[in-house]
Amino acid sequence: MAKDGDNGWKEYVWNPRTREFLGRTASSWGLILLFYLVFYIFLAGMFCLTMYVMLQTLDDHKPKWQDRLSTPGMVIRPKGDEYYQITYNTQKTESWDMYAQTLDKFLSPYNNTAQVEKNNVCKPDEYFQQEDSGEVKNNPKRSCQFNRTILDECSGITDRYYGYQEGKPCIIIKLNRVIGMLPGKDGQAPFVTCGAKKEDTEKIGELQYFPPNGTFNLMYYPYYGKKAQVNYSQPLVAVKFLNITTNEDVNIECRINANNIPTGSERDKWAGRVSFKLRINTI
Amino acid sequence: MSKKDTYDMFEMDGDMEKKKKKKKVNKKEKMEGMKKEIDIDDHEITIDELEMRYNTSVTKGLTSTFAAQVFERDGPNELKPPKGTPEYVKFARQLAGGLQCLMWVAACICSIAFGIEFAKGNVNCFDNLYLAVVLIAVVVVTGCFGYYQEFKSTNIIASFKNLVPQQAVVIRDGQKNVINAYQLVVGDMVEIKGGDGIPADIRIITSQACKVDNSSLTGESEPQSRTPECTHENPLETKNIAFFSTTCMEGIATGMIISTGDRTIIGRIATLASGVGNEKTPIAIEIEHFVDIIAGLAIFFGFTFFVVAMFIGYAFLEAMIFFMAIVVAYVPEGLLATVTVCLSLTAKRLARKNCVVKNLEAVETLGSTSVICSDKTGTLTQNRMTVAHLWFDNHVHAADTTEDQSGKSFDQSSETWRSLARVATLCNRATFRPDQEGLPIPKRLVVGDASETALLKFTELSVGNVMDYRDRFKKAVEVPFNSTNKFQLSIHELDDPLDLRYLLVMKGAPERILERCSTILIKGQELPLDEQWSEAFQTAYMDLGGLGERVLGFCHLYLSEKEVPRGYRFDADEMNFPTSGLCFAGLISMIDPPRATVPGAVMKCRTAGIRVVMVTGDHPITARAIAANVGIITEGSETVEDIAQRKRIPVEQVNKRDARACVISGGQLKDMSSEELDEALRNHPEMVFARTSPQQKLIIVESCQRLGSIVAVTGDGVNDSPALKKADIGVAMGIAGSDAAKNAADMILLDDNFASIVTGVEQGRLIFDNLKKSIAYTLTKNIPELTPYLIYITCSVPLPLGCITILFIELATDIYPSVSLAYEKAESDIMNLKPRNPRRDRLVNESLAVYSYFQIGAIQSFAGFTDYFAAMAQEGWYPLVCIGLRAHWENIHFQDMQDSYGQEWTFNQRLYQQFTCYTVFFVSIEICQISDVLIRKTRRLSVFTQGFFRNKVLVSAIVFQLLLGNLLCYCPGMPNIFNFMPIRVQWWFVPVPYGILIFVYDEIRKLGVRRHPGSWWDQELYY
Repeated sequence: MAKDGDNGWKEYVWNPRTREFLGRTASSWGLILLFYLVFYIFLAGMFCLTMYVMLQTLDDHKPKWQDRLSTPGMVIRPKGDEYYQITYNTQKTESWDMYAQTLDKFLSPYNNTAQVEKNNVCKPDEYFQQEDSGEVKNNPKRSCQFNRTILDECSGITDRYYGYQEGKPCIIIKLNRVIGMLPGKDGQAPFVTCGAKKEDTEKIGELQYFPPNGTFNLMYYPYYGKKAQVNYSQPLVAVKFLNITTNEDVNIECRINANNIPTGSERDKWAGRVSFKLRINTI
Repeated sequence: MSKKDTYDMFEMDGDMEKKKKKKKVNKKEKMEGMKKEIDIDDHEITIDELEMRYNTSVTKGLTSTFAAQVFERDGPNELKPPKGTPEYVKFARQLAGGLQCLMWVAACICSIAFGIEFAKGNVNCFDNLYLAVVLIAVVVVTGCFGYYQEFKSTNIIASFKNLVPQQAVVIRDGQKNVINAYQLVVGDMVEIKGGDGIPADIRIITSQACKVDNSSLTGESEPQSRTPECTHENPLETKNIAFFSTTCMEGIATGMIISTGDRTIIGRIATLASGVGNEKTPIAIEIEHFVDIIAGLAIFFGFTFFVVAMFIGYAFLEAMIFFMAIVVAYVPEGLLATVTVCLSLTAKRLARKNCVVKNLEAVETLGSTSVICSDKTGTLTQNRMTVAHLWFDNHVHAADTTEDQSGKSFDQSSETWRSLARVATLCNRATFRPDQEGLPIPKRLVVGDASETALLKFTELSVGNVMDYRDRFKKAVEVPFNSTNKFQLSIHELDDPLDLRYLLVMKGAPERILERCSTILIKGQELPLDEQWSEAFQTAYMDLGGLGERVLGFCHLYLSEKEVPRGYRFDADEMNFPTSGLCFAGLISMIDPPRATVPGAVMKCRTAGIRVVMVTGDHPITARAIAANVGIITEGSETVEDIAQRKRIPVEQVNKRDARACVISGGQLKDMSSEELDEALRNHPEMVFARTSPQQKLIIVESCQRLGSIVAVTGDGVNDSPALKKADIGVAMGIAGSDAAKNAADMILLDDNFASIVTGVEQGRLIFDNLKKSIAYTLTKNIPELTPYLIYITCSVPLPLGCITILFIELATDIYPSVSLAYEKAESDIMNLKPRNPRRDRLVNESLAVYSYFQIGAIQSFAGFTDYFAAMAQEGWYPLVCIGLRAHWENIHFQDMQDSYGQEWTFNQRLYQQFTCYTVFFVSIEICQISDVLIRKTRRLSVFTQGFFRNKVLVSAIVFQLLLGNLLCYCPGMPNIFNFMPIRVQWWFVPVPYGILIFVYDEIRKLGVRRHPGSWWDQELYY
């Protein structure tokens, strides 16, 4: 019986009598494959056509919808490890050196020389609008200078270790880019505030913001997208922890304060806020 | 021989039997043994031998102590209920099907993945646990559903059980006792009287006019007399054995019990029935066949992509999750539920037409039936004797035999008819039960035997008020029927008070009646009964007898006033009155007539390509007559014997192939090998089996099945139950059927109407067609569910469709539309087609799967991806950017990922975008499935011919699907519970062109199939 089945199987794969391979003759296979070839070419054609039509409806400079980005995300530099935890020992250079290097690298495009070369000086405290006039695109769009020196003590110029060595580290905060976003209403600039989470309020100590008050100046908004505004310099805010409790975990949360940015949903811990853990060991 | 010796010997016999049984390890062998004819000789040996064998005495019965010993040895005298499957096993079976097992595996992988992630401290991994729970819930809920269906049908059977304990009169220690029947043992002497059930198999020792109703055992419609003489070597035929579970109709008898419990004839039949394996229904085979393929393909796909994923460089755990996801995407979770619902809908529809289906799958079996083996008595016939023909004035007159008296009557103007009717009315002891004035005459209950009942009803219908009529002719004396003189007579005063003569009326076996007659009544004239009339009588008698009818002769005589004056003291025993030289009035013949609807139904079966074979326990002549009557043997068809007679050649010289019809009796069947039987069934399209035993019915069914037929068996008696069980579908009669038959059957006809079977066949064929459509619809969407994963794995795009969403498509939105296809009307006249060939016409064939998967499914996938890429692009992620994006996209710690426009996204924003993609893909599948359900309405005809809105359920299903889709999309809270996002309205319309393409393409396909039948197009694209 088993042998029979074996033969049947073999015969199904290749039947020498009828010259059939898998139940079909060569011409039959040819026909059916041709049919499917035509069928799929047609389908692929239709797919390409619809995709083409869809892509035609898109604007090069502004996405059609920004449903997900009503609350921009916030991130910090240096990122530390994956879990947004910055831990180092003041005694061990190698434990904080990488943070300083990260910041150096991150801030290099903000060098004053580079900024002067590429970007304009704008009028502060108001939006830098560069509207297109009808069909004529006003491209490329200019960007405003964000000089590294604005960050002052956290710029890495005066203190090339960003205060990490003395246990007074700088954390740089940026707001995610969203095209066309105009944060802050009535000329009031959005600003960042940091604080400790409940049980750590005692430990956080004094904070210093650069630029003062931790504001993102209005002149950096709106953003016109990477195509139109190639040299856009994202504004930054630096926070310096002046006398944070050492040798203990301190949970810190920074949030954006702007009267027209909705507080993000509870589930997204990085929309309009950012939290991280800071631990400075001295022993 | 001393008592003890016999006892020991018996013990040894018992032991030997036990050993023999043990040897029969092979169950099949045992079954074969059971199929052999019952082999006992208790009816042939003398009473003395019998007494010795069972160590008993005819007068005193057993001693109580010995009876107790035998009881100890044999156990109680009752039928052991067949071993049922324990409930938990039944339930477990529902959870362990092919697809269910795959789902379990998927659930396991999910939980393992969850466990590993959780152990790693990742708190965001509850999705996997969630999915595992959902998968298990799906399996359990579908299991419960199936179990409930099965449970419901078992309950129907349970309600049929009869729980009244039976009592019996037994002689033990020389004394009569009334004991419960289950305490009876072999050797007990019992007494039975009219109305009693026979408590065990009994050898009759003495009897007085004892008659038993064997119809449930042998199918004979008339009560059989029981006498102490052995009349036949076959225990079923001999008159000195009365069988367990039959009823004694009249008379009294005493007898010795020769077997009890499961060893009785009926017990053996019951064991035979429960021993016969339940054949898998064709639809079960179909579903299994295709579930195997699906499961195999799912594992194949899953494993291939597992390997591919490992090769590309995914982690083992990730690859496992891919495997799981592919299984979930590819397995049609909702399919089994859909099939069950479709079948139960049809079952409900059938129930309204008086067919109760016990086993859901049996609904379809009727549709694929190619042979119906029908019992005669009670199924094809009305199971009541009715006057069929009369012979008077040298003419045969046909009486109206329909159940509702809608037929034509004969000419009743003749004087002879009046005399004949008078004899029939007066010479009759049967009476109507009181208080039945409201009922139509044929339905009224009557006290009296079958032929007297027939005559009573006949005269009541033709003469009118019989009771009143009898009162007018006051009865002076009567001699009841007995087997020696074979006539019955009574003497009446005339209704004319001036005429003081007595009237003697007599009926009985025609030849006996004729012997006593010297004149014959022709057109009211009394003519001398000469040779010529005698011959005319003989011809008529033979003709009527040849029709399988029971013929009675009627005669009368006016007794002269001189010889028998008023007030004459008649003596019934002495018969002190003239009983010869009578005047012959006529013949009346009776038959159990076919039901009015049967010939039409048989005709319909024939046009539907179904062969109807009659298998009955009744006599060949009767069987053949009824077969001819209902069209099982068609007009002009001849048997071998007929041809031999016509050509005047010996039977052996007839070419068997010339004979369309064939009547085989049980005796002939016994000597036939199974090959010969197959040969006979193949050569003669019109078959009648008569005098068959239950075992032979089984053999006939098996033979039909060997020839590749799907066999339906209809029957009502206990004798039918093994065949009912063996058949692919057993159909029992609800009113006349015995419990055993109902238990063994898969379907019960509540109105006992054979014509209901035709409805069943039609519904069965329709559901097969519609299931095909449902399955095609259900399978199609598995491809657009599967491709997202394949693209996800190979091209690393953000996941377009999630597992939870897939489950929503499978189990929520698409269930109703797929069920609604069960309401679709037939595309063509399905009752004019041949039954499907179970080996060739599969439920799911290659072209159905290929068409659904690689054509419609492919279009749907493209629709989904178009919509997916549109949604991504319009939110800022260009199609080309998407490719290879996966690793960053799914990095929880990457909170400023740049899109094509330079905007930065957090992980959560990306996740919600991914959910948007799920929803968009879901909506695309839904839109395409609406188009799909429309095209599935027909396989060959244009949808425009079939009518868009004729299937209201389907229309409401589409509306339901859209509403549910909207609810899922726009109900608040959905994003975080079920990963559905409120999507832009525009995205609902992106897949519409593809929907239209599906519809147009399928119309083109159907057009090609219709225009060019047999062409390449037809072969490749018709499913």
